Amino acid sequence: MEYFAGKYDVIVVGAGHAGCEAALAAARLGCETLLITLHLDTIAHMPCNPSLGGPAKGHLVREIDALGGQMGIVADETSLQVKMLNTGKGPAVHALRIQSDKQAYHSRMRTILFSQPKLTIIQALVENLVVDKNSIVGVVTRTGARFESGSVVLTSGTYLRGRIIIGAAMHPGGPNGQMPAMSLSDSLREFGVELGRFKTGTPPRIHRQFVDYTKFRIQPGDNTPWRFSFMPTESQFWHKDLSKQVPCWLGYTGLQTHELIRTNLYRAPMYSGKIEGIGPRYCPSIEDKVVRFAQREAHQIFLEPEGWQSDELYVAGLSTSMPEEVQVQILKSIPGLENVRMLRPGYAIEYDYVLPHQLSLGLEVRQLSGLFTAGQLNGTSGYEEAAAQGLIAGINAALRSLGKGPFTLRRSDAYLGVLIDDLVTKGVKEPYRLLTSRAEYRLVLRQNNADLRLTEIGRSVGLVNDERWRRFHDKKKNYDHVKELLKTTVFSPMREDLQQVMSEAQSTPTRGGISAQDLIRRPEITISHLVKLIPELKDFEHEVLEEVETDTKYSGYIEKQWADIENFSKLENRMLPETLSYEEIRGLSTEGRQRLLEVRPLNLGQASRITGVSPADISVLLVFLEQRRRGGN
Amino acid sequence: MSDTIVAMSTAIGDASIHIIRISGPMATRIIEECFKPRNKERWLRGESFTLNRGVFYDQTKALDEVLVGRMLAPSSYTGEDVYEVNCHGGLFVAQRILKAILSHGAQLAEPGEFSKRAFLNGKLDLVQAEAIIDLISSRTETSANLALSQLSGGLSEKITSLRDGILEILAFIEAGIDFPEDEVDSLDRETLESLINKVLAETKLLLEGSKTGKVLRDGLNTVIVGQPNVGKSSLLNALLHEERAIVTDIPGTTRDEIRESVSVGGILLQLVDTAGICESDDLVERLGIERTWKALKTADLVLLVVQANLSLSEVERHILDCYSEKVVVLVNKIDILSKGQLDIPMNEKGFWIPFSVLQLQGFDELEKEIRKRVYQGEGISTTDPLLSNVRHITSLERCDNALNQSLNSLQQGMPWDILSIDIRQALQYVSEITGHNVQESLLEDIFSRFCIGK
Ligand SMILES: Nc1nc2c(ncn2[C@@H]2O[C@H](COP(=O)(O)OP(=O)(O)OP(=O)(O)O)[C@@H](O)[C@H]2O)c(=O)[nH]1
Ligand SMILES: [Mg+2]
Repeated sequence: MEYFAGKYDVIVVGAGHAGCEAALAAARLGCETLLITLHLDTIAHMPCNPSLGGPAKGHLVREIDALGGQMGIVADETSLQVKMLNTGKGPAVHALRIQSDKQAYHSRMRTILFSQPKLTIIQALVENLVVDKNSIVGVVTRTGARFESGSVVLTSGTYLRGRIIIGAAMHPGGPNGQMPAMSLSDSLREFGVELGRFKTGTPPRIHRQFVDYTKFRIQPGDNTPWRFSFMPTESQFWHKDLSKQVPCWLGYTGLQTHELIRTNLYRAPMYSGKIEGIGPRYCPSIEDKVVRFAQREAHQIFLEPEGWQSDELYVAGLSTSMPEEVQVQILKSIPGLENVRMLRPGYAIEYDYVLPHQLSLGLEVRQLSGLFTAGQLNGTSGYEEAAAQGLIAGINAALRSLGKGPFTLRRSDAYLGVLIDDLVTKGVKEPYRLLTSRAEYRLVLRQNNADLRLTEIGRSVGLVNDERWRRFHDKKKNYDHVKELLKTTVFSPMREDLQQVMSEAQSTPTRGGISAQDLIRRPEITISHLVKLIPELKDFEHEVLEEVETDTKYSGYIEKQWADIENFSKLENRMLPETLSYEEIRGLSTEGRQRLLEVRPLNLGQASRITGVSPADISVLLVFLEQRRRGGN
Repeated sequence: MSDTIVAMSTAIGDASIHIIRISGPMATRIIEECFKPRNKERWLRGESFTLNRGVFYDQTKALDEVLVGRMLAPSSYTGEDVYEVNCHGGLFVAQRILKAILSHGAQLAEPGEFSKRAFLNGKLDLVQAEAIIDLISSRTETSANLALSQLSGGLSEKITSLRDGILEILAFIEAGIDFPEDEVDSLDRETLESLINKVLAETKLLLEGSKTGKVLRDGLNTVIVGQPNVGKSSLLNALLHEERAIVTDIPGTTRDEIRESVSVGGILLQLVDTAGICESDDLVERLGIERTWKALKTADLVLLVVQANLSLSEVERHILDCYSEKVVVLVNKIDILSKGQLDIPMNEKGFWIPFSVLQLQGFDELEKEIRKRVYQGEGISTTDPLLSNVRHITSLERCDNALNQSLNSLQQGMPWDILSIDIRQALQYVSEITGHNVQESLLEDIFSRFCIGK
């Protein structure tokens, strides 16, 4: 029996990383928000790696944080170890990665959700959408509760018609022993939403006491207390004592492992044809790696702690859907794991996803207005990608209920913009993972300047609180100050400390005076050299100094990238009316027309990135728009 | 739309005047970099709708005496700054001017692009929109891919190999950046430098061998040979339209090589008139003949002049056998034959043209043959595949620039994320020729090359 259970401004279905950000954003923007989760104990759960960040993903977390999202703060507070990757590869690709305590992450996020005003959280299984004339009006749960709202965010992850595969064993299921959502797919299809099917996998978990650590190489955290958040945060485990960070361990598979896999290959679901979904290329199973890179004698295995207290270790690199007993043998064949106790087997999971080209850049399903989708449901992978979309979908759901226009970010604003534009404009052929190489303006989109890029935007949306706003202003003021200081400080070549610093850095001496700005442009001179020469710099935080250093040192390339962005914006600023009848525009190529109808781009820039839309098609559109403009006069 | 575009307009009249039109925000800058006006004072006044005489330069090299029309925004045809360069030096010079403008950063205009801009800037009325759309969409589906398949097998192989080389470098860099803890073999700076130098050597070879590129730059090395008194010097004079070489009816008139350049059908010929070849006791003549053999070896094109009423001598046959690929046989003095007497042998090597310098017969056919060999032909003498499309050459030159820039940055100690910018740019340019999508091929390459997946 269906009954009316309440009316909300925004309803969020699913409380994974996307759902949490969406619900918090909507509530913080002043909307009465309902968050419906399958299980209250799996809120913000990490069913895969117990880690967050890394290249591009770490950038995303910083951007979420700058916009006023939650992930960065919770990650910092629950971190077991911090590590800055790519430090030798250039300023644009430095990337923070942390190990997080899964349980703590879940409870911390849960606490924040429960203490968020205007946010109601319940446990229920949503089975149906309620739609009125191509607009969403609510959802109905399995027990018949009808919740009404004109803005619904679906973030159901890998639960839609989820199917778990371990060897020959197969059963309907969500990640980690959860139940799947079987009927929501049908409801989506009924209203014209096209779905596809992907698969992904996870490795086995083992008991930490049955590992011979002498056979593994220790992977400690860094000696700097890195944080994702631009707010002052601190790990609840190691606080400020870096030596207390929990290490990871690096080991290797061997020929014996590979032999085992080869002899059992016929039992692998991937090769026996049991799996239909398409898996990600960047996250192959160990059986895949052994087959595709047959010449390799060893593959890396990282043992990662699942928690501060937890006895579980995550065996990164060993994702598999082999039969359970083969998994145990594989583990035992790894040097150091001879006495292994497997706690949970690895598995593959197949699930339905929404073909993302049906979405607008604000993540609204175009043919079902008011319905927003985010996260793995949109064919992405990764907690960070999910959270980022959740934030955008949550903001847009709230804006819709407030009667305001959509909020979107461009490829030149943020990785978030790259992510969503890629999904919506190009679609996905495998679970999508963000990479720094997908960003054409990578040099400008650094993790370090995420706050300088986005805090003002977050403030105008309404998610940046006063404290964050004040800190941003201080940083910006300091940044400008330091920049000015470098420009105006000129060293005489006679200064002894200058000569000393230069010879230390093996820099060719100057004849005349040199400004600090020119000095730091020399590749061998760093900001720490300048600190020795300009004592005042000691008063500024390292992040500020580093930002000025990067912007000055690479100013040639950065300015060129800004010029590219200006160019890019020209087409981006040419809006295409949503109702444009592409069928009637003369001169479009057949393929271009069809793709334009499918994607319905927001502007000419987006149109130009659609595969199948040629430069000639863009020219035709330009002329057509002008024709229309004049015709209308 | 912010691009500056350039195109060669259709040739006017006898094709001795060509107009190169350039439009866009960079037009003024580019023209100022290339054009030295005669009347500097007048030019500097910057008035719109003026015609200015001066010399057009490519870097430091004067290309031609030209007339430059200046029409500034907003009252020009396109509504942007527009310049029209009128040149008289034939297709050869016009193409060099076009290339100079391209190398200063302009883009080759697409069909209908000038009109499109004119329309968007309110310079054409609504009625004309339809015609513009037709023009734009008539741009055949010349996907770059198609263009590549039109290249000769050897050439497309070379460009593909160049692209693969750049892709490999980028894949190494990007995989290292995006998968820092995966099993990616790292690339050190020395290796990177040698890899970049390797692909640079490939672009250099391709550019040097680019057909119009090379021919436009250096001209065709053309040697006129034949027995004494067959009319070689007469041919040279006729091509030059001046009495450069001495012509007499005494065999052995020309003793030393005469070198001249002349444009034939828009193609620059570096002509060498040689001493007639025959066995001789005259020492001076002998030396001259040795030089002739040398010239033949390095020639791109050999004009073998034979006399219509004489059969092939042993020397002539020898030349034909050795250099058949690059020989055009001019059967001269057909005017002295009576009707029906001309006997062009079938199945002979080389391309044969009945000719009369005196009566100006056969010149059209000669011009046609030369053009054919340069623009579509198998390549004149070199066995290397040659690029012939201005668009392709421009892309390749830009690729070459970007690679040099990356090398430069490498030497300056720039980090990987910066180096990747120029290398990606280089890949982008060469992909314009091959029609590949850079992003997709990069990921494909990374995932097939490296075992990614932690
Ligand atoms: N009838 C006729 N006479 C020609 C023609 N071309 C050249 N002659 C004459 O042939 C004679 C030789 O001409 P040249 O041009 O000096 O011959 P060449 O091959 O340069 O001779 P050498 O320099 O002595 O090797 C001259 O008297 C020309 O006028 C032609 O097409 N028809
Ligand atoms: Mg002569």
